[in-house]
Amino acid sequence: MSATCEFQAKDYRSDLKPIWCPGCGDFSVVASIYRALAAIGRPPHEIAFVSGIGCSSRIPGYTTAYGFNSVHGRALPIAQGIKLSSPELLVLAAGGDGDGFSIGGGHIAHAIRRNMDLTYIVMDNQIYGLTKGQLSPTSQKGRITCTSHYGSLEAPVNPLLYVLAYGAGFVAQASPTDIAGMAAIIEEAIRYPGFAFVNIQSPCVTYGEEAQQIKGLKAISESLAALGHDSADRLAAMDLAQHYGSKLHLGVFYRDPDPAPTYGDLVRDRQALLSQGALPKERILDLFIKS
Amino acid sequence: MAISASTRPKPYLEAEYCKGCLRCIDACPKDCIAQGTEINPATGVVPVVLDLATCNGCGLCIQACPEPYGLRPENERTVDAAGFELEDPAALFGPRDTTAPVPVDIPDRHLPLPASEPLVLKGTYASALGALLAGCRHVFGYPITPSTEGAELMAKVLPKLDGAFVQAVSEVAAVNMMYGCGGAGLPCMTFTSSPGFSLMLEGVSYMIGAELPGVFVNIMRGGPGLGNIGPEQADIKLACRGLGHGNTQAITFAPSTPQEMLDLTRLSFELSFKYRNPVVLLGDGYLGQMTGVVRLPSTFTKPGLPAWAVWGDRDHRRNLVSSIHLSEPDLEQHNLHLLGKYGAMIRDEQRSDLYRCDDAEILLVACNTPARMAKGAVEDLRRKGIKAGLFRPITLWPFPIDALKAVLPGVSRIVVVEASPGQLEDELRLALDRADVARPPIDHVQRYGGILPQQFEIVDKVLSLCPVQSGEVMA
Ligand SMILES: Cc1ncc(C[n+]2csc(CCOP(=O)(O)OP(=O)(O)O)c2C)c(N)n1
Ligand code: SF4
Ligand code: SF4
Ligand code: SF4
Repeated sequence: MSATCEFQAKDYRSDLKPIWCPGCGDFSVVASIYRALAAIGRPPHEIAFVSGIGCSSRIPGYTTAYGFNSVHGRALPIAQGIKLSSPELLVLAAGGDGDGFSIGGGHIAHAIRRNMDLTYIVMDNQIYGLTKGQLSPTSQKGRITCTSHYGSLEAPVNPLLYVLAYGAGFVAQASPTDIAGMAAIIEEAIRYPGFAFVNIQSPCVTYGEEAQQIKGLKAISESLAALGHDSADRLAAMDLAQHYGSKLHLGVFYRDPDPAPTYGDLVRDRQALLSQGALPKERILDLFIKS
Repeated sequence: MAISASTRPKPYLEAEYCKGCLRCIDACPKDCIAQGTEINPATGVVPVVLDLATCNGCGLCIQACPEPYGLRPENERTVDAAGFELEDPAALFGPRDTTAPVPVDIPDRHLPLPASEPLVLKGTYASALGALLAGCRHVFGYPITPSTEGAELMAKVLPKLDGAFVQAVSEVAAVNMMYGCGGAGLPCMTFTSSPGFSLMLEGVSYMIGAELPGVFVNIMRGGPGLGNIGPEQADIKLACRGLGHGNTQAITFAPSTPQEMLDLTRLSFELSFKYRNPVVLLGDGYLGQMTGVVRLPSTFTKPGLPAWAVWGDRDHRRNLVSSIHLSEPDLEQHNLHLLGKYGAMIRDEQRSDLYRCDDAEILLVACNTPARMAKGAVEDLRRKGIKAGLFRPITLWPFPIDALKAVLPGVSRIVVVEASPGQLEDELRLALDRADVARPPIDHVQRYGGILPQQFEIVDKVLSLCPVQSGEVMA
């Protein structure tokens, strides 16, 4: 993976014109991804970009990477399948808060546990955009939506604490209030060897609440670097992550200073140990038939 | 006192309990055990064979054998092999000891509904209203176009009616919430659309196994996979032939107007409790969104509580809902019981609508929204002098074969009209075949991918067939 200046942001932009609502936060996310990928410099055909279903999950189509707008909630299993079969690929996964933390919620813990070398970007808008405005697992308690007419009775998921608790090696948060910062964070996440998670507060201008629009986000945002947060300190990261929903901390919450081997590394080690130069195909049966 | 090699018991094989796993062969240091060659007629597997000439009675093979009675020490051979009876786990501790009273059915009550003007409602709303009138107060769902409006309406009204709507984290969660609610003996339902219905099928199989009621409204959209959100009818196969794993069937309705969305949803609850089985209501994407005049019934239902409910009080203490039957004879009995219920449904629950079928020579077969196009085509064809009629199955399973049989004698051709690659036609063909009746040739008009067959396509198809049909005589 040699970082060269061969590629520019526009090389990662596809000909498809996004059909997001004008002003949707997801525009800035895809722009940041173009920039991050250009900085990393892998050619588009060496990148696999998998998403689930939702407005935000349209994102792979707007890039020139190999893209898969896949199955609602299943971006991570599909991304893991791709990464295992083609370990050299740079694999990105993305989607909405519903896709990731509701129907796909069960998969996150296990991708983290395996420490798959993936970057998972959630465009968190606290609402279901594509299906026109239902409750999301990150919606605030009391939130009125078309499936919670009198206010939601459920406490929201805290995506940051969730992934920190499961032991993700890289956890960060970004928002369109700081686009340059968002591109830098995504780049760092992609470069991290292991499972990296970026939560992006990406406002839904159509179904989102006032407080979650750019102005509202700006009012509560705070840079983790400016706070002097040490991103090697996991407990401090968890402490800060508790303020999800009331404060918008931007930057890297946690970066494992001593990254654990990835699942791919371990698989290859195991293969080397057990196969010692794989059996020639015609001898596969030796594994089953006792001599 | 040490036991010497000569006094240690050698093993003997209880061939009927050997599953041929060969673990004992690896365990024996003296190579006394070899893979057998003869199939044991009682078990169908090949037991090992022992040659104990060099056996020193070390007992390692007995330890290695995972079967409690596969290899045994020779000195215990006195026990009669026939004495090893498997005990039925259900009978292990005898009947449950409880002083709880035997639960009784609390019947539904049907109360008069004040007369009102007809309403104009979209299909999903009509279905939701039908459910409310049937006494459903618990709805579990996960948003998916084009079904979500039904759930959204329920989210709005249920809290005002002492009910609850829960947006589950997925369709898998939703169906299992229905498992729980149905197990308590209460009417519950979901609104979903094709990809969501696929996800629910595991739970549907469990509910059928555990004999639980629940109503599934599936507003079918274009598939396979993510497909699109246009109307399709390609989940007929799932509902009629593929409700999850195992021996499963459920009454499957195919309404074709908002009025039927209401009436059949109501009926679904009644039948779901009558048979203690889920009921599926298949609409297509247009029907879900289409508005129409809906007349209200004269009564509404206040549900009682069935005696079998696991209600969680003292009276219902002895009840159990479960889909597990570990003993094979028990599970076979359970399947026979389910087959008996399916048989009763086939006998008693066929429903259909016949339009100008009395003298029909060309019989169109269609359901859901395409039936409306087919009805238009019947009119058009009649004006052109062709005796066409429409046979509209209202239950897709059980297929209304009895009513069809009655009109077949005058029919020279059947044309199946559907927005699927022949899933309705397959149900028709299977029903005809099982009924063993002579049938005229079957043609079809099919569209796919979110497009419904149009009236003119049906008319053109029939016109293209008519010259061929003129000289034909029915077998
Ligand atoms: C199995 C299944 N259930 C439901 C849907 C419908 N569906 C599509 S996207 C979506 C949620 C969208 O919300 P989110 O993931 O937060 O993304 P956003 O649109 O807000 O970006 C749902 C419920 C589906 N496609 N598949
Ligand atoms: S509905 Fe919301 S999330 Fe979807 S494109 Fe529009 S603004 Fe973005
Ligand atoms: S008792 Fe020991 S020696 Fe004899 S057959 Fe079993 S394992 Fe072999
Ligand atoms: S270990 Fe027991 S079951 Fe397995 S082959 Fe030997 S005797 Fe049979």
